Amino acid sequence: MYMLKYIMKRLGLLVMTFVIIEVICFVLIKALPIVINVGIGQDRQIIIAQLTARGYFDPIPVQFWNYLKGIFTRGDFGICYNLPEYRNQSVVEVFRSKLPPTLLINVYSSLIAIPIGIALGIFAALKKNKWEDQVISTTVMLFISVPSFVYAFLVQYIFCFKLEWFPLTMLAGYDYFSPDMFLSMLPAVISLSFGSIAGYARYTRAELTEVLTNDYMLLARTKGLTKAQATTRHALRNAMVPIFPSIVGEFVSVLSGSLIIEKIFAIPGVGGLYLMAINAQDYDSFMFLSGFYILIGLLASIVIDLSYGVIDPRIRMGAK
Amino acid sequence: MRKTSKVIFGLMATSLLGLSACNKGPSIPEDPKTPTAFCYTYMDYTTVSPSNWNELTYQDNNDTQIMSHIGGSFFTFNYEFDADGEIVDGGFTVDYDGATNLEDVSELIGKQAGSGYAYKITLRHDLKWDDGSPIKAADFVYSMKQQLDPAYKNYRADSFYNGSLIIHNAKNYAKIGDKGFFASTDVYEDYASADLENLYFHTAMPDEDAEDGSFEASDTLFDKQVIEPDYYASVTKNGLVACLSSWFAFEVPFTQEEIDSLEGKTVKEIKESSTLSAIYDNAISYAENFYGPAGEDLALVWCVSEYEYPEISFDQVGIFADGDYDLYIVLDSSLDLLKPDGTLSYKAAYNLSSLPLVKESLYEECRVAPATEGALPTSRYNSSVETSASWGPYKLTYFQAGKQYILERNENWYGYNMKEYKGQYQTDRIVCNTIEEWNTAWLSFQQGNITSIGIDVSISQDYKSSSRAVFTGDDYVASLQLQSSKEGLKNRETAGVDKEMLLYPDFRKALSLAIDRADYTAKCTTASQPGFGIFNEYHYYDVENAGVYRHTDAAKKVICETYGVNIDDYDSLDEAYAAVTGYNLELAKQLINSAYDEAVAAGTIAAGDKVVLTVGAAADSEATRRQFNYLKNAFETLAVGTKLEGRLTLEFDASFGSKWSTDFRAGAYDICTGGWSGAAWNPGYFLLAYLSPDYMYSKGWDTSKAMLTYDIYQDGSDVRTMSLLDWYDCLNDNEGAAINLSEGHYDTDLRLGLIAAIEGEILKVYYTVPLYNFYSAALLSYKVNYGSTTYNTFMAYGGIRYMTYNYDDLAWSYVKTHFDYKA
Repeated sequence: MYMLKYIMKRLGLLVMTFVIIEVICFVLIKALPIVINVGIGQDRQIIIAQLTARGYFDPIPVQFWNYLKGIFTRGDFGICYNLPEYRNQSVVEVFRSKLPPTLLINVYSSLIAIPIGIALGIFAALKKNKWEDQVISTTVMLFISVPSFVYAFLVQYIFCFKLEWFPLTMLAGYDYFSPDMFLSMLPAVISLSFGSIAGYARYTRAELTEVLTNDYMLLARTKGLTKAQATTRHALRNAMVPIFPSIVGEFVSVLSGSLIIEKIFAIPGVGGLYLMAINAQDYDSFMFLSGFYILIGLLASIVIDLSYGVIDPRIRMGAK
Repeated sequence: MRKTSKVIFGLMATSLLGLSACNKGPSIPEDPKTPTAFCYTYMDYTTVSPSNWNELTYQDNNDTQIMSHIGGSFFTFNYEFDADGEIVDGGFTVDYDGATNLEDVSELIGKQAGSGYAYKITLRHDLKWDDGSPIKAADFVYSMKQQLDPAYKNYRADSFYNGSLIIHNAKNYAKIGDKGFFASTDVYEDYASADLENLYFHTAMPDEDAEDGSFEASDTLFDKQVIEPDYYASVTKNGLVACLSSWFAFEVPFTQEEIDSLEGKTVKEIKESSTLSAIYDNAISYAENFYGPAGEDLALVWCVSEYEYPEISFDQVGIFADGDYDLYIVLDSSLDLLKPDGTLSYKAAYNLSSLPLVKESLYEECRVAPATEGALPTSRYNSSVETSASWGPYKLTYFQAGKQYILERNENWYGYNMKEYKGQYQTDRIVCNTIEEWNTAWLSFQQGNITSIGIDVSISQDYKSSSRAVFTGDDYVASLQLQSSKEGLKNRETAGVDKEMLLYPDFRKALSLAIDRADYTAKCTTASQPGFGIFNEYHYYDVENAGVYRHTDAAKKVICETYGVNIDDYDSLDEAYAAVTGYNLELAKQLINSAYDEAVAAGTIAAGDKVVLTVGAAADSEATRRQFNYLKNAFETLAVGTKLEGRLTLEFDASFGSKWSTDFRAGAYDICTGGWSGAAWNPGYFLLAYLSPDYMYSKGWDTSKAMLTYDIYQDGSDVRTMSLLDWYDCLNDNEGAAINLSEGHYDTDLRLGLIAAIEGEILKVYYTVPLYNFYSAALLSYKVNYGSTTYNTFMAYGGIRYMTYNYDDLAWSYVKTHFDYKA
């Protein structure tokens, strides 16, 4: 009951926060002067008529009302007007068509990074201050320090160009689960994984190292558990309390894609879409993407909070 | 833990299942990775994928990537061949293509025979869509009707009333129902024909009215004569009288209160009051300072009128079909599409290459009704494979937005039946991938997977001497644009930071002379050449006979004079012209000192103030950074040894995005790199870009007040002093021009001399500082060869049409990585 009340309260706050941010976004983007580029010999009135028909010259409150009306009466989030690659296309359709490649390379990357990162972290924690730990920690620092696009260029140059193990860019087409497509995604997946592996390893090592020194670990060993049993049953479980939310957070960031990686490997994903929308002052796509990411971000914060209870039943949100 | 694992697994499984549902897009027709013998694939790449290749609505060059392959033409350019079948350098012919005959039928509309006002185009009988259905003359009429449909406000409708090809009544049809206030000069021919109740006296309209298009004052006194960037804002803020007094030397014969009393009233109302009428008469007399004694007609330039374009039938538009294959067009402005001997002139292929053509059945299916009241209907036509139709050499067979499109041979193209195309179009398929990152494309090119790639500055030293390098110039001159708005500069000054130095001509000239353009182009561009004028080698005054403006004596002289090269010091004008470098650091330093002294005397700069100029850009890229760093170094070096030593520097601001030019014109920053291309075959018209406040970067420079004295016939018989803008009107025979000096009405050499004089005036104010003439460089794969190794204005290197293959796809797959492109 406490949990239900807590969830309802959080959802209520979510709606309020979402509306406030959306209004701010709408007002700010609409407050910018409208860009009217007229070429030599072009009829300015045609451009004006197009903009007028879209209501761009209406007062901002009227535009906001029409925007909301479009969403709630027709499910219409508008069309891309200024994005050269998607001109006059529905922003929802554009986003939907570009989401799968982004999701896939990030999910694959997480599938690789989570087990390897956590395993390395556990190993380093268990071998704390030994040479294995030093090697892992140094490597982890190296991978955390270097931006992912550097790996991307190296991976592309070595594995795709020199060794020709993979294609230089992701293949065209919608056959996302074919072996060829998977192979073409791997360079991007690998490039994205390095940073994540290093992050998970460092985090796991830090948490586990701390947990392993707790008194209850000593108690566990004294009551007869082996080191492996004590580690997996007690230490790891407690260490996962802060790690699991970071995994959820990783899934959330998956949705926004990686601008640089997608550019380098020509992945037709959503990575650069938000930036393009802002640069091109494309109102509808900016508002849709803002709304989407705000909503996902807010939902994720609730999911993360709730996940503490899943990992450690002693934690009960909303309980007094 | 087990519960946790389940949650993670569940999340992943859900994601993957969700994605599998998305796996339903169109499949690629045939895997282009599989090489085939006797198949010739051109592998291209683009940084921005096309989105709309509908001829009626396309907006930018990205869309023409597909359009240029799926459309046919009536007339086309071709190489000129000598008796041995070899291409003649620079030569061209104009051939019939989708049309078999063109006849001037001007006499049918009451014009003089052969005057170029009406044409009959006879179409080939085998014009077909890619599905084999026939194309008739009526299809072009239907397409034009859709193009001009007033309900759609199609983006390209103005091509038929705002350019060289003005189809009779096209504008009136396209604007049916458009209602608003327009310049009275647009609505009425003269005062006598005007409705006095519809002549509203207006001196200034609020910005928002001007912006949303409800008010169009294109030819009022003030839009025409007061070339003030913020006219409306200035007049609203300071009052008309104060503005006129500061802008013009003429005495203003009315007070602000008096002129305000006329505002918004109709001429009929004004005339009914003796008090108002007296003020009105004064206003008319004031307008005579600009227009001469035109009497009551001057009411039109003070007034705006409400107007609604009336309903007209499409039958009244100058295009109709007679039978299946005869298409007639009627023009409001004559076009010489035929030479006196009856053969096609270059204008046939240039101005009337084709008319819009959409496939009726498909177009009707693709209509999208407006979602809300007030919105415009749109069309999905030519935005995907399913909605595309081709009547050109290729057809679209695959399209994935933002990733790839594939064009394949359209077997129903009429050209494959023509002897003129025999042995051409060897390319079977064009595969174009979207690759934003140049480095990725470069690796792909080296792997043999891209057929041609632009040479980036980072590799230009190694590859621009390659035998596979291809250079292409165009009419774009990149110039440094220096801020001219005093208000804009002053508003951004802070304590100890001065920007108004830019207002001193000596200072601007010093900046120009401090740039070693040869060094700049070598370090900052791939293949561009130093530029010194607003025109370059690609601006023709007589394209048919290869008459290049820049090659004329007048054009060369003006460059020598602008950059201080004394022609008498050289054996010939050509030698003097060749000696121009635009770089003279010593003189530049002297000019810095003189400008500084002037500024100190005027009190605009204080001792110790730094001059910090902001260089703006659309994006923070390697290229813009490279150019900025070069300029920063050049200008800081310029200051060494002058009174501004250590006090002149540049700062970089790449936050302007797509609004960079609008922001510059509004005075938001100090320096940008910009220029114009277009109208390359009409230098007299091209001047518009540097003289009209609608286009010019230096909006603070009043070209209506910058006077030029010119001896029109170079014999002293008619020496006139007029503003640059007035000279421009004369060169183009615009409304209100004092004398018609347009092409065909004025001796060509004299006209070139006048254009050069105006160019000189533009250069000498140094708000526009030419930097380089744009040339692009590309590497061509060993897989293919262009039809010609010499660039041709009309045919370039022959394009896909003349491209030949050294290897088919199968052979290429074996050899593609074995070439050295440095050699």
